[in-house]
Amino acid sequence: MEDLAELAIGHALKLGAEFADLRIESTTGTNILIMDGKTRTLNSELEAGCGIRAFVGGTWGFVATSVLTKASLRSAAASAVKMAKAARAKAKIQFEIESAKAVITTEEYKCKEKPADVTTEEKLSFALGLDGSARSFDSRIGSTNARYDDLEAERVIANSFGTMVRTKERWVLAACSAWSRSEGVTQRGHASEGSVGGYELMRTSGALDLGKEAAAQALRLLDSKPAPAGKFTCILDNKMTGMLAHEAFGHACEADAIIAGASVLEGKIGKKVASEGISLVDDPTIKDTFGFFSIDWEGVKARKHVLVDHGILVGLMHNIESSSRLGQKPNGSARSQGFNSPPIIRMSNTYISAGDCKKDELFDGLRRGLLIQGSQYGYVEPAKGQFMFKCDEAYEIKNGEVGQRYRDASLSGVILEVLNNVERIEDDFVLGDPGYCGKGGQSARTTDGGPHIRVADMVVGGLT
Amino acid sequence: MVDMEGLAETTVRYVMKLGASACDVLAADSKFTSAEIEKGSMKQSSQIRDPGVGIRAFKNGCSGFSFCTGHDRKVIHKIAELAVSQARAGTPDPDFKGLPEKMKPAKVVGLFERRIPELEADDVVEMAISLSDYAGDDKRITSVNAGVTIGEGTSALANSNGFVSSQRMTSFELSAEAVAREGSEMFSGVDAGASRKLSTEMIERAGTNARDHAIMGLKGTKLETGDYPVVMDPLAVAFVFGMAIGGGVNAESVQRKRSYLTGQLGKKIGSEKLTVYDDPTIDWATGSYSFDGEGVRASKKTIIGRGRLETYLYDSLAAGKDSRPSTGNASRGGSIWSFRRIPSISPSNLVVRRGDSSMDEMISETRHGVYLRLTYDYPNLATGEFSGLMMESFKIERGELGPSVRQATMGVHLVDMFSRVDMVGNKVRDVFGVRTPALRISRARIGGSS
Repeated sequence: MEDLAELAIGHALKLGAEFADLRIESTTGTNILIMDGKTRTLNSELEAGCGIRAFVGGTWGFVATSVLTKASLRSAAASAVKMAKAARAKAKIQFEIESAKAVITTEEYKCKEKPADVTTEEKLSFALGLDGSARSFDSRIGSTNARYDDLEAERVIANSFGTMVRTKERWVLAACSAWSRSEGVTQRGHASEGSVGGYELMRTSGALDLGKEAAAQALRLLDSKPAPAGKFTCILDNKMTGMLAHEAFGHACEADAIIAGASVLEGKIGKKVASEGISLVDDPTIKDTFGFFSIDWEGVKARKHVLVDHGILVGLMHNIESSSRLGQKPNGSARSQGFNSPPIIRMSNTYISAGDCKKDELFDGLRRGLLIQGSQYGYVEPAKGQFMFKCDEAYEIKNGEVGQRYRDASLSGVILEVLNNVERIEDDFVLGDPGYCGKGGQSARTTDGGPHIRVADMVVGGLT
Repeated sequence: MVDMEGLAETTVRYVMKLGASACDVLAADSKFTSAEIEKGSMKQSSQIRDPGVGIRAFKNGCSGFSFCTGHDRKVIHKIAELAVSQARAGTPDPDFKGLPEKMKPAKVVGLFERRIPELEADDVVEMAISLSDYAGDDKRITSVNAGVTIGEGTSALANSNGFVSSQRMTSFELSAEAVAREGSEMFSGVDAGASRKLSTEMIERAGTNARDHAIMGLKGTKLETGDYPVVMDPLAVAFVFGMAIGGGVNAESVQRKRSYLTGQLGKKIGSEKLTVYDDPTIDWATGSYSFDGEGVRASKKTIIGRGRLETYLYDSLAAGKDSRPSTGNASRGGSIWSFRRIPSISPSNLVVRRGDSSMDEMISETRHGVYLRLTYDYPNLATGEFSGLMMESFKIERGELGPSVRQATMGVHLVDMFSRVDMVGNKVRDVFGVRTPALRISRARIGGSS
């Protein structure tokens, strides 16, 4: 693959590209879905191809092909240059890509048990076991899903600085959903576990207990009421703090949003954007997480990004373009979903650092509020400055005591206000659930987390 | 040039030789060309060619599915073997009654526009610039981010019952975000459009809508928590109904009792004013096809007729379980089919029947309420409850559109939402795979920040 990469990059430069890079990728994977005790789908994939980018005077051309021959890659390189020039002819903004030191390495992410070496029968048995454990948990569990995904990818990243990185990565993910029913009410519980690494994760209690965890949550929700609507002080659990870090603030710290003039954080570097106790970090280098990587998809060494330090916005996540344009060093935040997508700035493991408050102190003096647990999904529009996320469960807090259970509360807030409204931060840091983040039509594996926090003035959406 | 139908047909024979009891094969080849604008300047032009094959093999009712990129016969044989071995490994499913019998595809005008494959990257760049120019045409607009993508693809489907056919499809999709600033205020307006044919009107409408709503939103206000009538823009209707109805009438979810519409067939779930179809035969709509992802002839169905639930949507597996024919709603992905996608139940084009109210009437007849233009929230399909952020909404005061509402949420049960439809717009637009007018809901719970 390296020979093909050098040939294609050389051809792009010869045709006028000022900078060029590519990703040649070969991927295999398995997906198993069990529904109500039966195999619903058993999938496998074999993908291979190359995506090449050419840069000319402030614009990019990107071409993807699944034919990995010299002739095809030469043709793809030529098309990429042609497309960059077509775009360049109409561009109003010009800039250059700053030269960077070449990275030449071969790496393989830690893995004890390669998913490819585990038989389909064993993976199937694992997924059937998850599904069965959820179904047999309680007679009120009426329907169940269990899912197992693995992926093995070999990727060569090359660019015209001389970078040549070969990465072999593997990751696994399992998830379980359970639907409980009682007296005409249906509720859903969900749990997942995943990490970069091998099948050994599926042998841990965290993975093996997913069915029970999902079933227990579905049962808890049976006696829940629809959430009340209005403005509340909320105590967020570790998972919801992670969601807050990711949706409410993380996306706005992606430098491409700043360059696009579509982030309310434009011009805020060095300014106070959060309570003094808040430090917000994105760190792809945390091993054994779903968001882990050591070299990004542009061949830049990944490193920890401190975005907010004790309330002050101190940094952004960059790719080689944004760092060139904003006079910063690239910090390894570029990722692409596959060979057929160009790399864009993405989060990895995003979290709020632990504070020093104890659990009791979190509830002290809170006369009326909500305890918010578990995250379903969230989204943000950095240009509107608004975000929203939805929890699994919520509980009424009255005079510091936890009471009535609610479901489906959606929480919304304003990016520039929410972190300033954080009143207390607990000392119980947990990096939470694995998940996928969507942006620009691409999906990236991520993890979020943090401690329990108490936030004033959150707007809760509900039916009552 | 690969003979796609021949490739699909010969692969079916190979899969059956390996011991499958039934199978279908999708051979596809697609090409997408796009241009992206960032902050009002051309940023990137892309072209992605995506050939591949997806194989679904059955044994004892259990399916195995494999796909590969490219059309290399050796690789296709490898995934065929994988699919068959997976089908053997899975649990038997007696509910599977077989793949659809061979039938003639429907005649649908407007799946493929000849002009689209003739376009070069420069043409797409020009369209993106035109979109950006419309969106940026005001001094208060400080940034425009926009994109245009054209697609073309051929999908050949063959199954072990002798069905073999192909359809050529094209697509034209765009989106625009305009960011407006005035003093310390900042707001963005977004709009999108999709069709199977080129449309300069769509470019103009998306660009001007994004611009106008960014400017309209600069002046903000807050609402007090309470019950309000809500006028839902077609964008908001499309996003909420696409999931609420499209997901709620999924026959498999109903059979597994995971949908809030379980047991509601034939019952009243909405207002007399609400009629919703599924129609894959609409000219140039992005969800149209002449046969579905399993080879079932495309046909129009009434899902909700004057408020009454008339049908669920089926693929062959769910249909077999209920001993009835498929409704032809096995989807293979978006406007251009993907070999990566295993068939699953999905609406084609969801159509909300137009009414007789103009948007002006809907606003002027709302004394104190909210105009919801955009939300990206999903309902809970198990409970039928919806609660989400009103990402872009405006206050209605004394029958006139007022400032944008900041940080407010909407909560309502979906059946209440359908039942409270009291005004239906007389103009429709196609967005997010749904053709819909604006609707007014007489009451929803709004969580305000005031």
